[in-house]
Amino acid sequence: MYAVTVFTQLCIYAVLTLSLNLITGLAGQVSLGHAAFFGIGAYVVGVLTTHGIPFAPAWLVGGLVAAGFGLVLGSISLRLREDFLAIATIAFNFVVVAAFLYLPYFGGAYGISGIPKPLGNAGFPLLVLATTLGVVWFHERARASDLGLAWMSLRESEVAAEAVGVDVRRFKVTAFVLGTGLAGLAGGLYAAYIGVIRPEDFGFPLSVTLLAMVAVGGMGTLWGPLAGAFVLGGFAQAFAFVHNYQLVLYGLLLALVMRYRPQGLLGKLG
Amino acid sequence: MTVLEARNLTKRFGGLVAVSGVHLRVDAGELLGLFGPNGAGKTTLFNLISGTLRPDEGEVVFYGEPITHMPPHARARRGIARTFQVVQAFGELTVLENVLTALAHRALTGWLPLGRYDAPVRRRAAMELLERVGLASRAGERAKNLPLGLLKRLEVARSLALQPKLLLLDEPLGGLNLRESEQLLEVLLALRGQTTMVLVEHNVRMALPVCDRAVAMDAGRVIAEGRPEDVRRHPQVIEAYLGEGEDA
Amino acid sequence: MDWQTLSALAADGLAVGSLYALTAFGLTLVYGLLRVLHVAHAGVYAAGAYAGWLAFRGGGGLGWALLAGAGCAVALGLLLEWWFYRPLQGRSPLVALIGSIGLFVAVGDLLRILFGPYQHSLPVLPPRTVVGPVSLPQLVVVAATAGLFLVVYGIATRTPLGVGWRAIAQDAEMAAAVGVPLPRYTQLAFALASALAGVAGVLVGVYYNQVYPTMGAVPAYKALAVVVLGGLGSPWGTVAAGLLLGVVESVAVAYFGNRFPPEGVAFLAMMLVLLFRPQGLLTAEPQG
Repeated sequence: MYAVTVFTQLCIYAVLTLSLNLITGLAGQVSLGHAAFFGIGAYVVGVLTTHGIPFAPAWLVGGLVAAGFGLVLGSISLRLREDFLAIATIAFNFVVVAAFLYLPYFGGAYGISGIPKPLGNAGFPLLVLATTLGVVWFHERARASDLGLAWMSLRESEVAAEAVGVDVRRFKVTAFVLGTGLAGLAGGLYAAYIGVIRPEDFGFPLSVTLLAMVAVGGMGTLWGPLAGAFVLGGFAQAFAFVHNYQLVLYGLLLALVMRYRPQGLLGKLG
Repeated sequence: MTVLEARNLTKRFGGLVAVSGVHLRVDAGELLGLFGPNGAGKTTLFNLISGTLRPDEGEVVFYGEPITHMPPHARARRGIARTFQVVQAFGELTVLENVLTALAHRALTGWLPLGRYDAPVRRRAAMELLERVGLASRAGERAKNLPLGLLKRLEVARSLALQPKLLLLDEPLGGLNLRESEQLLEVLLALRGQTTMVLVEHNVRMALPVCDRAVAMDAGRVIAEGRPEDVRRHPQVIEAYLGEGEDA
Repeated sequence: MDWQTLSALAADGLAVGSLYALTAFGLTLVYGLLRVLHVAHAGVYAAGAYAGWLAFRGGGGLGWALLAGAGCAVALGLLLEWWFYRPLQGRSPLVALIGSIGLFVAVGDLLRILFGPYQHSLPVLPPRTVVGPVSLPQLVVVAATAGLFLVVYGIATRTPLGVGWRAIAQDAEMAAAVGVPLPRYTQLAFALASALAGVAGVLVGVYYNQVYPTMGAVPAYKALAVVVLGGLGSPWGTVAAGLLLGVVESVAVAYFGNRFPPEGVAFLAMMLVLLFRPQGLLTAEPQG
């Protein structure tokens, strides 16, 4: 059913935007390469399940591998100032996509196809829904917790956060690990759901789209990223017209939001 | 008893020596004033004590424990709190949340501290602190909407939430008008005796009288030390300030 | 490796490197003044390329194409400075960076919508060789670049504009305090940066005989890499880094063929520099 397809896609976007929100909205670390982790989770599932490994362990491994790379990126982020970090995340996105294109076992430009969907057409959307609800729960739990407060404080002022006892370095890394791990889980769901994945599905334009969704919706909150995912994502899905103009619209949207309403988006403004 | 001792601290930035061979001692319960013209190295010294900077030479000892290479957050957890010359409030957070950040530090062990940050016990403690500085009525407002004078008080409340054994105040009166300055000084005077404080202040006229002891710096060195009135009249101190056009 | 191959590689490397240098120079110039990475610069570059192509389609030769390219790029660059960058000046550089990326993506896609997703050819120069293995396009590219940078060098060292730019890059507040007209000099910087990018765009179109909507993408990232390699805020370091990257890439392609994507060189180098020497290979002190 078309509605189920759209709904599943929107849920995956929601998990992606919420996971990005942990890193960028709450902890204030710009990630313009989030799509790469989505891709890592997808490719892990794609490669493993097409070689006979059942979905469940492949899915978890995908999340863990993505989180592992997130750990690397998080550690890198400790050494880099904000705009350098943004560039590094972009470069990371490109390197990952290039890896999908050029390394063996990933199928090159054709990607991986024939990825099996567990639980069938009736059951799988329920898994996606359950995951989305789980991520929402975790997101809210984190946001109301000492961890979330530590993130927000380091977003607003790293030096003041240190002065109140927050280990800024440790929690920056935590944000990356959690956010990227969840994106990896979203990737695994996406791979199984759509059956065919290609390197360009996880490129920089998707990272821009995700950031646009989070930024336009309102960073740091729950409903902001969700609204961004459902509204912008829904738009693109429901109207082929919009789909064709997706990039120019998202790009302009991002530019307009930054130009006219950047307040409340990132803490360190002004 | 000695709360803090800085021995032979030296810090260079490229060719510039910001702090040179500084010895400083802070005793329990006292309010120590650190004075000097712009560029004397006062804030750098603070940064060396709070951990924002590491010295090129020398050491910092807190209650007998060497903390010279400890990161700032570890020092904060051991009881060194500080306010900033340019106020560093958590703008998007509410006034209450600003204080709650400091109350969470004991729970921030490990990698996934998922307890609620606004548990009732903590809220009460935070509100009490806000009352002490007179900000309780604005608890729900976002910090970025507050005027500078109130933000300075918020920083003090946030620092006190750490239950600090040493409170470093970096130019707390900076940018405040007369009334705001008096209000803030009242808050600080109320702490006298309970909390050990070191105060860096450019506004010598208002700050010197409240100190138990004073230290004067110029060009990275300590040039005078002792009772406030004595330091004030010290010839080198007068010269340092006159060179700046300030009357001490 | 014989003399012929070596000089062919050198020629290609220098030509490609010149194009990188032209594109990246403007990026560094703007960064020095505004402390913002003007990623949309790559969009300006692509727009310039298309303007040049349109001029060619209208019957013009190389000269007209370059003029059209530069003109269009300058117009777009100034528009962006006025509408986007200037009002955002007090804010965190991240705001401008993210918005700039949005603009870049939007411009690229707009070009696709207007002119189709396919390549268009720009056969303004016959690709015949002129001196040994050096082809006419290579010669034109290197000569044009050298000429332009000579002019830029003159501006930078002999005019109040150049002095003003250096002052603003060092300390904008001080510069304003001593009377440097910040808004006008910033506009002029954008104009120059965009003109160079527009020319680069047309030259790239001529060199590879193609313009296409996403042609800004690779230069965008490579320009970033070049800027990082040369040291953010060091314009001449950028030029040097651009040339260096061009040559290294040519050699890499010759050695590794299709087994290693040439883009990889730029990104790998960039990540290594970011990790171990963020001030760039060619500057002495850490920036910012």
